[in-house]
Amino acid sequence: MGELRVEGLCKGWDFPVLDRLDFTVAEGEFFVVVGPSGIGKTTLLRLIAGLERPDAGRVLVGGRDITGLPPYRRNVAMTFESYALYPHLSVFENIASPLRARKIARAEIGAAVRQAAAMLRIDELLERRPGEISGGQKQRTALARTLVARPEVYLLDEPISHLDARIRHELRQQFHGLEELRRVATLYVTHDYAEALSLADRIGVMGAGGLVQVGAARDIFERPASLFVAQHLGQPSINVVEAELHQTGGDGAVHWAATGAAGAAGGKGLTLPVADAHRAALSNLGTATVMLGIRPQFVSVLGNAESAAARTGDGSCTDVAARDGRGTAGGGLPVIDATVELYEPLGATGVLIADAGGVPLTATTDPDRTFHYGERVKLRLRPETVLYFDARSGANLVD
Amino acid sequence: MSDSSYRLVRGLLLAFLGLWLLLTLFPFYWQIITALKDAAETNRTIPTFWPEVWHPENFKLVFAERSNLQALIDSFVIATGNTLASLVLGTLAGYAFARFPRQAGGENLAFWILSNRMFPPVAVLVPMFFLFDATPWGTDSHLSLIILYLVFNMPLATWLMMVFFRDAPRELEEAAYLDGYTPIKAFFKVTLPLVLPGMISVAMLCWIFAWNEYLFANLFVGTAVKTFTIVIPTFTHGSQTLWNLQMAFSLIAMLPPLVLFIVLRRYMVRGLSLGVVKG
Repeated sequence: MGELRVEGLCKGWDFPVLDRLDFTVAEGEFFVVVGPSGIGKTTLLRLIAGLERPDAGRVLVGGRDITGLPPYRRNVAMTFESYALYPHLSVFENIASPLRARKIARAEIGAAVRQAAAMLRIDELLERRPGEISGGQKQRTALARTLVARPEVYLLDEPISHLDARIRHELRQQFHGLEELRRVATLYVTHDYAEALSLADRIGVMGAGGLVQVGAARDIFERPASLFVAQHLGQPSINVVEAELHQTGGDGAVHWAATGAAGAAGGKGLTLPVADAHRAALSNLGTATVMLGIRPQFVSVLGNAESAAARTGDGSCTDVAARDGRGTAGGGLPVIDATVELYEPLGATGVLIADAGGVPLTATTDPDRTFHYGERVKLRLRPETVLYFDARSGANLVD
Repeated sequence: MSDSSYRLVRGLLLAFLGLWLLLTLFPFYWQIITALKDAAETNRTIPTFWPEVWHPENFKLVFAERSNLQALIDSFVIATGNTLASLVLGTLAGYAFARFPRQAGGENLAFWILSNRMFPPVAVLVPMFFLFDATPWGTDSHLSLIILYLVFNMPLATWLMMVFFRDAPRELEEAAYLDGYTPIKAFFKVTLPLVLPGMISVAMLCWIFAWNEYLFANLFVGTAVKTFTIVIPTFTHGSQTLWNLQMAFSLIAMLPPLVLFIVLRRYMVRGLSLGVVKG
C-alpha cells in the first residue's frame, strides 16, 4: 500500500497531451481529475496503468518506481469508460478474472466474488452474460472486477458518466460507502464537475497539458485559479463578462463597466462597483480590461415587493458610479434592470437568462417562479462574489 | 400501388424465383437420378427423367475398388491438414496485422499477402511442380498439397482473421492485462474466444477449397496419394464413361462438406454478428 506519485510525466503524439505533470494521491485519498473531453484524462490513467509508455517522467506507488513495469505486474486496477467486460464470460467469471489470473483457490474466488457482488447489489446476476444486463449493472460488474483485485491503486475512468441520472446518483452514493476505496489511493477521472464535487477528497482540474489547479472542492469552486477552471465547474456555467476597470474619485474606489454594453441600444451600460475586499488587488491595474466571472447562483432575481422598494434611478442600469460610488439599492446591493430572454424551469431550480444592457446574464431562481420572454426584471449582484480574471492569461487577479 | 398490380408484381417475382430454383436444382436432381440408373440407361439418346429400374447398389459398387475409399481418406487428410495449418498461420498473422500494423509491415504487406490469391493459378502450375519435386517428400504426397494449398488458403485466413481481430476491442485485452494476465494469456482468455466463430467460418472456407481442388491435385499426386477429385474422371469402362458410378461417387464426396456446414452453421451466423460487444 502507499501513495501514488506522478513525477514530471510527459506524453504526446503529434502534439503534447501531458506536459511535466506532477501530483500525489495519498493512501486512502479519493482524488478526482476533472476536465473537458479530449484533454488527456484517459491518457493519464493509461500511463499510470502501463497501457501507454510515457515520453518522460516516473510513476511511483508507495515509493516504488513502476514506470518500466508492464501492466500485469503493476498491481493497479482500472475501470474503463466502455466497461470492457468480457462478452463471452458470465458476470461471475468477469468479476473473478483478476483472481483467476493469480491462480487463487476456487472456494476463495467464489467467496470473494459473491461478497463484492452483494456489496454492489448484482448478486442476482452472476450467471448472466454482460449482454443481458443494463448499463448500470455493467458498470457495477466492472467495478466489482476491480474491487476483488484488491490492488494498490484504483484508476476509475468516467465510471458513471454514461448512465442515466437516477442510477448515477445511486452509484455516487455507493462510491461514498466503499470501504475498499479508503484503503488505497484512488484516481478518478470525469468530465462531470458535479461528480467531482460530490466524491472528491481533492480535485485536480485538468487543462491543456496538465493540472491547472489542485485543491479541495470548495476551494476550487470559490477561488478558481483561472477563468478556465471557473468555466469548467458549475452548472449553469459561470457568466463571463468582459469589462474595463476605472478608478473613480480620490477615495480609491474602483468600478467596472462591461465592454460593449455601453454602446448598446440606448447608450446605457452595465457598470458596477468593485467590492472593498477586491479593491486593493485591482486598484494598481489602473484602466485595464478584465474578464469577470459571475456565478449564476449569486445573481438573484428580485421579487415584486423587493423590486418596488429598489430605487434604480431612471436608467435601465444602475449607474452607481454616477451617484455615490456605492450601489445601495435593495438592501445595500447593486440592482440592475434586465429583460428576460429565456427561462428554463428545471424542477429544483429555474435558470433565467436575461439581457442586462446588452450583456446576457444567467441567474438561478426559485423553482416556483415563472418568467416570460421580454419581461422586465431586476437582478441583484453581490460584488464580493465577482471573480476577476486577466483578459489575456485568464489568471485570477484577486486570489 | 393498387392491390391488383401489387399482386401482379408479387406473382412475377415468385415466378422468377421458381424458375431460378429450377435452374439451380436441376443439375443436382440429374446427378441423383443418374446415380440410380444402370449404365445403359445413362447413355440413351433420349434421356429418361426418372430411372426405369432403380440401382441403389451403385453407391456400394463404387467402393468395390478399395482405392476409391482411400481417395476420400487422402482428400480428408489433405483438407484437414491444410485447414489446421492455414488457421494457425492466418490467426497469428491476422492478429499481428490487426494489433501491430506498423511493426508487422503495415497495410502493404497485408495486401501483398492477399494479392497472392489474385493471380491465375495456372500461371504457376509448372514452376510449382518443379519446386515441389525438389523437396524430400516430392509432389506425390499429402504434405505437398497441404503446403501448396496454403498459397490459396493462408491469404484468405490471414485477411479474414485480421478483420475479426480488428472488430474485437483492444480494450478487452487491456482489461485482461490489468487483471494480471500476460499478453499471451490474455489472448487465449479474451481475444481468441471472441474471434472463435470467425475462425470456424474461415476453417470451413479453407477446408472446402482444399477438399474440392482439382487442377493442382491432378498434376501433383496420383500414384502414392490420390484425391477423390482426380478419381472421379477415372470411372470408365473401355471407351465408355460410367456416368452412374461417377455421379454416385461425387454424391458421396458431397456429404462431408454438407455435414460440416450443417453442424457449424450456427457458429457461422454468430461470426457475422461479431463486433456487437458493448451493447
